[in-house]
Amino acid sequence: MKVILLAENLQRKISFLNHVVPSRSQLPILSNVLLEAEKGKLKISATDLELGMVTLVSANVGEEGAITVPAKIFSDLSLNIKEGKISIETSGTNILLKAPGVEATLQTMPSEEFPKIYKEKGDIFIKIKKEVLEKEVSRIAFSAAQDGGRPSLSGVLVRQDKDGLTMVATDGYRLSLRRNLAVLSGKDQSSSVLVPAKVFKELLAIKEDEDDVTVSISKNTNQIIFSQGETVLVGRLIEAEYPPFEKILPTSHSTTVSFERAKLLSAVKICSVFARDTANIVKFSIGKNKMVVSANTPSVGENKADVEAKTEGEENEIAFNARYLLDLLGNIDDEDLVFEMTGPLNPGVFKIKDNPYFLHLIMPIRVQG
Amino acid sequence: MEQDLNKLWQTVLGEVEMEVSRANFLTLFKPTMLLSLNETTATIAAPSSMIIDLLQRRFYQIIKKTINKLSKKNVEILFVPKNVVGLKEDAPGPLFLEPEKKSIPVGHLPRVRTEYTFENMAVSTSNQLAYVSATTVAKKIGQVYNPLFIYGPVGVGKTHLMQAIANDVYINNPNSKIAYITSEEFTNEVVEAIRTNSTSAMKRRFRGLDLLIIDDIQFVAGKEKVQEELFHTFNILVDNGSQIVLSSDRPPSEIKKVEKRLLSRFSGGLTVDIESPDFELRTAILLIKAKKYGFELNIEIAKRIAEKDLDGRSLEGLLLRVITRTNAKGGEPTDEILNDALDSKKEEDGNSFHPDDIIKNVCAFYRVKPTQIRGEKRNSSLVKARQVAMYLLKKELGLTFVEIGNLLGGRDHTTIMYGFNKIEGLLKTTRLSEEILGIKGGAGGKHMEY
Repeated sequence: MKVILLAENLQRKISFLNHVVPSRSQLPILSNVLLEAEKGKLKISATDLELGMVTLVSANVGEEGAITVPAKIFSDLSLNIKEGKISIETSGTNILLKAPGVEATLQTMPSEEFPKIYKEKGDIFIKIKKEVLEKEVSRIAFSAAQDGGRPSLSGVLVRQDKDGLTMVATDGYRLSLRRNLAVLSGKDQSSSVLVPAKVFKELLAIKEDEDDVTVSISKNTNQIIFSQGETVLVGRLIEAEYPPFEKILPTSHSTTVSFERAKLLSAVKICSVFARDTANIVKFSIGKNKMVVSANTPSVGENKADVEAKTEGEENEIAFNARYLLDLLGNIDDEDLVFEMTGPLNPGVFKIKDNPYFLHLIMPIRVQG
Repeated sequence: MEQDLNKLWQTVLGEVEMEVSRANFLTLFKPTMLLSLNETTATIAAPSSMIIDLLQRRFYQIIKKTINKLSKKNVEILFVPKNVVGLKEDAPGPLFLEPEKKSIPVGHLPRVRTEYTFENMAVSTSNQLAYVSATTVAKKIGQVYNPLFIYGPVGVGKTHLMQAIANDVYINNPNSKIAYITSEEFTNEVVEAIRTNSTSAMKRRFRGLDLLIIDDIQFVAGKEKVQEELFHTFNILVDNGSQIVLSSDRPPSEIKKVEKRLLSRFSGGLTVDIESPDFELRTAILLIKAKKYGFELNIEIAKRIAEKDLDGRSLEGLLLRVITRTNAKGGEPTDEILNDALDSKKEEDGNSFHPDDIIKNVCAFYRVKPTQIRGEKRNSSLVKARQVAMYLLKKELGLTFVEIGNLLGGRDHTTIMYGFNKIEGLLKTTRLSEEILGIKGGAGGKHMEY
């Protein structure tokens, strides 16, 4: 194998391909990336056996071939080369990497040991603008469960409905929902898939010039395949029943509060200092045209922060885990938000003003007094 | 069928493990399962198509060879992408609980009696500290004293206090996951889980709790597996910020045959004791209990009953007797009724012994071991103890000589007859009767429960 490519082209790809390489793997081959030189491109692949990524870099291919190299060393090396051409060629069982003023020899492992990341792209599920997807995913994916105890909740449900795409994520304590999301094209019949939340995280990391993302589903391999420009991200679909989230969406409320995101965020941040030792509980007290956020720890002290707000309906109190509030307020960038609630025991609902399609539910914490 | 497949596959994996590297085995083979096997094809599930790719390209022959050898068939291997590990889902979380469930009031906690609340508990100096700690814990589960360890003798209200915590937490948040359990029930759960191979389900059940209450924890003594389970459950619950409440008849430092690491966990929070109720508290308990039974108890009568130095439970028994007798006669409880009830209480106590209790008490009195009493040795002190036991078993429980013979290590009924007559004779001439009374006194005392 022999290729010559531009440092900056390689660096751009390496920066997001790196995420996929497992930091610790029992299988040595997974700590490597696969380099394949063919038809004017260098193809680089990385996988942790669940997720996989394949990306193409334009290259001058002198001799076709395939080899794997240690990912960490390869990326550290490439990212530190200032600019100019890099040449990579095999020499015996090593590869020789040359750049202006740099010459390095890397150990390799045979390409046959590296798993094939995908065999087929399957059927196209949807096409969507990356920008749109990015915005929605960041508002939703953080609500998915982090632990493995409930496989279905570790995913984001993506469902094709008549009037657009529905995306849901929940960990059983909070839930994010987006409805009626416009797509560029999609299948006519309704269908749904459960996508691991971390696949979306990797998707957002991809930087390509091309702005459209094509999402395909391969039934045979049970994979979801995102293609953007010259990069392909492959994830495993979750086969599990998703809980009936539609049943728990509140249909009415008795209190409405309109406020600015940044103001609530800073109030919650301040109060969470005092909530650290008391299971992170912060309380909202909703009165006439103001909302007071408070927290107390008997042995430390207490504090209150007023949030300017417009309120309608009953005066009310409700307590939440501050972490859930910070997650929500940190992951959406719209400034005008609305909070709705019925009572201290029913889930609180956060909405974006004038956006009827997004909502976020948080289960309250029952507190004394 | 499924089990056979699973067994076969485990055997296959066992052989494969010898032939491939450990890393390959753990990452590629461990998460697989044999889904079906017919004359031509073995279908194997693996969690991702990348794993399938590696299995297919690099290990196909090993798998095929091993399956064919073990199943005595000639099959080809077909891989399908399917996640087989962790198929069972935990409950999806509080958001998805039925809203109706949220409004259920008190009274639906298994094993917990609704009448045991903080409000109807009589508090005095002997149990004040325990009471305050319990109410604090109920208000702030997992945040203050974790674990709360309550100890004290029988009938002082440990169970009342612990169930009151459960009820209080439940009223304030019907969604909290609460378990009230005795250590015997915990033991049974562990044993049952091991028997039915469902330990992970049991673990999930206990480790997802907000509040775990275990009564009479001293009974885990000597049960290693149970202690180990308890230890891990304990750590996970405390880490999750869940509350643990334990009770025992003695402080952690005096519990024997329990691992040190577990004991140190027991005393890691707050340890409080409840003393036997004093006279005032006994009177108060009587008044509260009488009210519960809808009976107007005169405070003078209550004092008279409370003068008997009894634990809470026996007091209640005595009170019930007074109430039934009074109701039968009509009018106010009289001294006569009271004395009557006290007498019959003694009789009942006498009859409620278990043969083992008698043997234990005899042993305790003469400082010998039950195994010695049942054994063959015949030194004079042993013989005496043995014969006293024979006498008491006959006299107090009315057992037949044959039964007593069986109880005492399979002795002949004539031996028992001889022993019984011997003691009866001695009672007339010696001071043995005092010893017998001493033994019976011990047997009627507070610690007869175990």
